[in-house]
Amino acid sequence: MITRLLWLLSVAKVHIRMEGTMEMTANAMDLAQNQPKHLDQFVLGSRLSEMERLPVWVDSLAAAYSIDENIKFAINLCLEEVVSNVIRHGYANQEGQFLTVDCSSPRPGQFVFTVEDDAAPFNPLELAALPGISPQDEGQIGGQGIRLLRGFSDTLEYEPKPGGNRLRIGFTNASAGPSNWPQ
Amino acid sequence: MGFATEDLPDGITKVVLDGSLDIAGAAAIDLKMNVIAGARNAVLIDLQQVSFIGSMGLRAIVAPARAILSRKGRMVIYGPNELVEKVLRTSGIDTMIPIHHDYQAALAALSSQGPH
Repeated sequence: MITRLLWLLSVAKVHIRMEGTMEMTANAMDLAQNQPKHLDQFVLGSRLSEMERLPVWVDSLAAAYSIDENIKFAINLCLEEVVSNVIRHGYANQEGQFLTVDCSSPRPGQFVFTVEDDAAPFNPLELAALPGISPQDEGQIGGQGIRLLRGFSDTLEYEPKPGGNRLRIGFTNASAGPSNWPQ
Repeated sequence: MGFATEDLPDGITKVVLDGSLDIAGAAAIDLKMNVIAGARNAVLIDLQQVSFIGSMGLRAIVAPARAILSRKGRMVIYGPNELVEKVLRTSGIDTMIPIHHDYQAALAALSSQGPH
């Protein structure tokens, strides 16, 4: 009787452990599925000539993750606008500083590019929408970056970071993504 | 960034751009576009072979266009691909410089509307 009770207890314990383990495994998988998958990082110096490397990097990401041409175009456009703005205005064309561009995929078909710099706080999303180019207003020629950024990205999020800025630019490309995403 | 010009009848100058009008591409054509803007009054910008355009590329087209328009001249854009055209229209440049996909219509817009 005592032996049987001990056996029953041991089976129950194993069962509890298995259930617990399975539950933890399931939670870990859920968590993993919801975590942004970090894909790559790109570091640039604060010179406009550095930007020639950006499209090459975007090309490699597009090839690796089957990103469509129109999304690749939008990524190149938005990164050119944001990065050149940081170099020309945030860093005032002063060499010797850096900015990073991270690419992650929060879920299949979504890509988020996070641009981080160490420049003075500047939130581009607080700027009012600019009017379109007109023949009269000379001042608007160079002010189209924000307009294009809003027109070609799917999501934009800004947050200050200690001593700098962090801007997340999101794109949706339903047919693309890391091949090892859980189906 | 490729840049070529061709003189056409009726005093029209065709400017053929080829490549990416990113920051480097825009810098490569800025001076040449300004020379065109200073000397010509009817200019067709052929963008058929332009694969990309950013805000600096827009600037390289808009600044000369303003100079030409200020002299009562004309400029038209011909043949941008779908994505380049989306940039042009998002910026509003099409309200200043008409966009054409029909070559003859682009030429007609430059040659048939009075003095240049």
